[in-house]
This record gives sequence, C-alpha cells and structure tokens, in this order.
Amino acid sequence: MMDTTNEISGSLSEQQRLELEHVVPMWRIVWAQFTEHKPALVSLFVIAIFLITALSAPLLQMVTGLDPDAQNPLDRYKPPFSSAELSSDQREDRILQFVNSNPEVAKDLQDEVIKKGLVTPVRPEDALYDLANKDRKEIVSGLKEINQPAAADLIKVVKGFQTYHLFGTDELGRDVFIRLVYGARVSMGVGLLVAISSALIGFLVGAFAGFYGGWIDMALMRFTDALLALPIIPFLIVLAAVDMNKIPLLRDMVGTQNESIVKMVTILVLFSWMQVALLVRGSILSLREREFILASKTLGAKDSTIIFRHMFPNAIAPMLVSVTLGVGNAILFESALSFLGLGIQPPTPSWGNMLFNAQELISEAPFLAFLPGFMILITTISFNYLGDGIQDAIDPKAIRR
Amino acid sequence: MTAYILRRIIQTLVVIVLLSYFSFYIMTLMPGDPVELMIQSNPKITSADITRLRELYGLDQPVYKRYATWVTTLSHGDLGYSRTYRIPVSDLIGPKLMNTFVLSMASLLLSLIIAIPLGVFAALRPGSKSEAIINLFAFSGISMPSFWLGLMLMIIFAQTLHWFPAGGTATVGMDKANIFAFTLDRLKYLVLPTVSLAYMEIGAFVRFTRSSMLEALRNDYIRTAKAKGLSRAVVIWKHAFRNALLPLVTMVTLGLSGVFSGALISETVFAYQGAGKLVYDSIIANDFNVAMVSFMISVIMVLVMNLIADLLYGVVDPRISFK
Repeated sequence: MMDTTNEISGSLSEQQRLELEHVVPMWRIVWAQFTEHKPALVSLFVIAIFLITALSAPLLQMVTGLDPDAQNPLDRYKPPFSSAELSSDQREDRILQFVNSNPEVAKDLQDEVIKKGLVTPVRPEDALYDLANKDRKEIVSGLKEINQPAAADLIKVVKGFQTYHLFGTDELGRDVFIRLVYGARVSMGVGLLVAISSALIGFLVGAFAGFYGGWIDMALMRFTDALLALPIIPFLIVLAAVDMNKIPLLRDMVGTQNESIVKMVTILVLFSWMQVALLVRGSILSLREREFILASKTLGAKDSTIIFRHMFPNAIAPMLVSVTLGVGNAILFESALSFLGLGIQPPTPSWGNMLFNAQELISEAPFLAFLPGFMILITTISFNYLGDGIQDAIDPKAIRR
Repeated sequence: MTAYILRRIIQTLVVIVLLSYFSFYIMTLMPGDPVELMIQSNPKITSADITRLRELYGLDQPVYKRYATWVTTLSHGDLGYSRTYRIPVSDLIGPKLMNTFVLSMASLLLSLIIAIPLGVFAALRPGSKSEAIINLFAFSGISMPSFWLGLMLMIIFAQTLHWFPAGGTATVGMDKANIFAFTLDRLKYLVLPTVSLAYMEIGAFVRFTRSSMLEALRNDYIRTAKAKGLSRAVVIWKHAFRNALLPLVTMVTLGLSGVFSGALISETVFAYQGAGKLVYDSIIANDFNVAMVSFMISVIMVLVMNLIADLLYGVVDPRISFK
C-alpha cells in the first residue's frame, strides 16, 4: 500500500503535486457544485431581483410618484401600458390642496403666472386653476421659466396629473404595478419569516428529541407525527378565521396595525416546523454518537453548549434546504388564505389578496387575475429550484472533485 | 401484526378525540356566536333577553361542558341544525362528501395517469433535455397556486372558449334527465376543478416516481436481468417498475389525503358543492354546527387514509415487519 502511494506521488511533477495538495475550502466546493445546477442559479438571480425590488418599494414609490393606496374611481380597469389623466375636477382639487398648504407662495406664483401671460383669468385668484386645465407640457414649460422655488413644487403637482400604469389599474383605480411591488414585500416577508421561525422551532424540537431520547423523544415525535398527518388547508382556514382578540394572551402581544400579518405568520409557523424537526432529529441522533460530542461531554460541556455550539453547525446544511423549500410553501399557503379572504387583510396588498377581488372581475378585467398569481408561481418555483440546487450542492455523494 | 394494527387504530382514535376538543375550542374563538348574531339582527333585544338566550343555548357554560353536551347529542345521531341552510346537518353533508369524493378520485386518477409515465421517462434519461423539461413541469406543479391555475383555466376555457362551465356542480334540473345526459353534464362541470387540483399532485408524483424508479434501477438484480439478455422493456417494466411501485402505493394513499384537503381551494374557486367548500362557507357564515361537523369529517377522512397508507405499506412490502 505504502509503495504504491510513493510510486504515484513519485511520478507526479512538482506542480501536479501542489495542485493535488491545494486545499479547497468547503464553501467553494459547494458553490462550484451549485453553479452546475443551472435552473437553481437562475432562480437565485430571480429571487435576488424580487428581494431588491421588494426592499426598494418606497424608493420606487417616490420615483414613479405612484401610491399603492391612491384610489381613483374614474380610472378603474385600465389595461396594462396605459396612462391615466385626472379629470379637471380632480386637477383643481390638487391645486386647491397646493394653494391651501402654502398660501403666500401660491399668491406670488399666481401673480407671476398672470404677468407672464400664461393665462388670462377672469379673477386673479383663478389663475392657477385655469392653468391646471391647459395642456400639461405647456404648463410645465411655462412654469420652468418662472424663477421661483415654488414653481418646481407646482411642476411636481402638475406631473401627478398624468400617471403611467405599467400593469394597469385595479377595481379601485389603484396602480397594479406599485401594489405588486408592495405585495412582494408582504408575501416574501411572510414567507421568509415563516421559514426562518419554523426552522428555529423545528431545530429546538428536533434537537431536544434527538439529544435526550427516551420519553421526551417519544412524546415530541408522536406530537410531530400527529401534526404532519393533519390536512393542512382546512386547519389553516379554521385557525385563520379565529378572532385573535378572544385569546387574552395574544391580544396584548399583537397590535391592531399589523394584526393580520402577525396572525398569518403565527398560523403558518404552527404547521410548518415539523419537517425541520424530523430532519434535525435524524442528524442529531447520528451526531450524538460521534467522538467530538463525546469529547466535549467528557470535558464537562453543558447540554446547551453541545447542542448549539457543536451540533447546530453540523445540522445547518440540511436545514438550509428545508428552509428554502419552506419559503415557497409559506408563500403558497399565505396567498391561498389571502385569496380566500382570511389572510392578509386589505388595504395592505399581498399577492394573494390582490386575487381576491380579481375572481369576480374575470370578465371585466382578466389581466388583474394574471399578474399576482404569476408572481406567486415564479417566486415559489424559484425557491423550490433553489432548494433543489442547494440539496445537490451539499450532498457529499454528489460532489465531484 | 395485529398488535401493531390495534395500536395504530387506538392512536388515531386518540388523535381524533383530542382534535375534536381542540377544534371545538377554536370554533368558540371565532367572531360572532349565535346570540351575537341575533343581537345584530334585532335592535329591540334587551339585556335580559341576551342572558336568557345565552342560557338557553348553553353559551354561558365553560367550553368543556359545552363540548360534553355536543358529544352527547352527537352520540344520539343528532348532528345539529344548519343556520344558513335551514336543514339538519346530516342531510347536508352526505351529497357534499360524495361530490368531494368524486372530485378527489378523478384528480388522483388524472394525476397518476400523467405523472407515472413522465416520472419513469425522466428516470430513464438522467441529465437529458427531456428530463429538464419534465423537471420544470414537475416543479411548476409543486409551486403552482392552485386557485390561480383555477382562475386561469376559467378565463381560458370557460370565459373565452366556452368549452366548460365556469363553476358549479351540475346544471339545474339535470337530475331529471336520463342517466347518460346527467353523467355527461356532471363531467362537464368536473373537468376544470379536476385539472386545477390534479396539477398540484402531478408535480409531487412525478418527482416521487422518478426518484423511486432511479432507486430501483440501481439494484443488482437490474444488472443481472440486463446481463441475462432480457429486453429493455422487460427490465424496465417488469423488474424495475414493479419494485418502484412499492413506495408509490403509499404515495398514492397519502396523495389522496392531500387531494382531499386541497380540494377545498379548487371547490371554492369553482363553486363546486363539495365538503371543502362547505367547511369554508360555514366558517365564513358562522354556521357553527356545519363547520364543526364538516371539518371533523374532513380531518377524520384524512387520518383514516393515513392509517390505511401505513397498514398498506406493510402489506405491499414484505420486508417491513411491524413491531
């Protein structure tokens, strides 16, 4: 045996030997393995884009000047790629708001506008209102000539007269695009929160059961199995319909503001930690017999130290897979509940509750039903592929060097 | 074996009893009990009336006492009365369960017919382009929001093409027609809900079939069979597939419980009068008796199916011994 190894290493050049002895860090092997899974790589990219978009929602709102809650009954069901013009009443309302919020500046501006001859009002007070009813381009170019800081503010108001709706408007005249962006925040936020919290709970339960064994293991695993056997969707619906204010402990914890989101996360976590628990229990059971655990036990380490310091890092890889898959599932369940009107409550947009009204409107506005669901599909499919990719990447049997 | 079966049955029973109490408690937490609804509909009601009504319906009792009363009436065969439908719950639930059963079986059948060949095909050509496409199909199945798929099917096939009705269970008055026309009519209403429900299962089935087939193909006896010079078809279907079928049996039984619980969403989207829609509608309408009974029946069905799956596993796979 010894001879052959010597023989082989003897036949290698210095450079080949160095190459062989070069240590590749674990994460690089995993990453190299991961990049071979093309769909997973694409999914990672898609998820990154969605996350960035979701996080920059307020920025997008500022840049586009669209408001997810701004209703406009006159511009309902606008098709995608269309723009909406405010009616002259609505324009004058906006001007009135502008005048009321800074009366002195408006007065100066009004005089200036008359002096430039942009409008010839009957009464000087009407100048700005008359201006509002002219062509938008004309107003903007006219106002640009006026050398006052207030003119820039007025231009902003005037620019808001026309809004561009990339994905059209919904049944209340709200812009679908900006609602989708804010919906991404809610849906992905709920998904991530559920996956991470259920991973933590699952880890605790699984680690406890695996580490202590005996009757603790028995009891915890019976409970886990019982929960796994339940039909999830009817249960989620029953729990989602519960009035949280009737439970004294929860009432104090949950504020009224984000009640539906908190409720959603809690319910979903309740039914999604079991997979992780089973997984973690399995790996803890095998870790328990390893020498390094015996060593730290002999050194007198506390149970909690052994579990969190020594076992957790070794169990994290398989957990990562189930967290990733868990995000997709959580988004699916959240959207299903919101679609049924039991999840995230309007006016907070979520991809699911945007479909809630769309169902009755499929004849007037079929496109309203398409986009939110498509977003859900793309996101969950990406998370599922990502989980698959991670699974392949961390599977030692699949690693080729 | 008998001891194992008995233990599993007792376990299931215990779970059912615990769950029924839990669900009973949960139902009391829902907004609006019967008396509150009476208060809303009758502005002239006095507080004395309210106390009297609460006493009459037993709503002043603690939850466990109300549960005991409910169980006692149940044991006499009285499921209670539906507030929204104005008929006894027992009359309501039978036909709806039947509808759900038909829908579940149809989608299970459809998904198996599509998924098994695809899974086997994918397992035979690992790393090929067709495998990647099948994979994408399977992944989109797992990730598909079934209610959205339902809406899209509705827009395409009901609204635009007018091939199938957009929702419902049967055309009114069709039950008086002859049996052939009646069945055809029911089938027409069944197609879209079935497809939207089946696609969800297809994804899981394809992936399961594929991995279990891959597992079977790795066995030594496959190599032996090939070495004997058996034809490819015999090796695949007789040797590999038959062994891959073992885990598939469990998957199907578990799949049935998945279909049964997933049916709730498809039924609601398509207004298909099944048990799932009944659970949803009664919860929304605060119809407590119906909600409790239909929910418990759905849960019991699923638990029993799980039990059967567990027991079947031992029957089809002689390698498993029950302790």
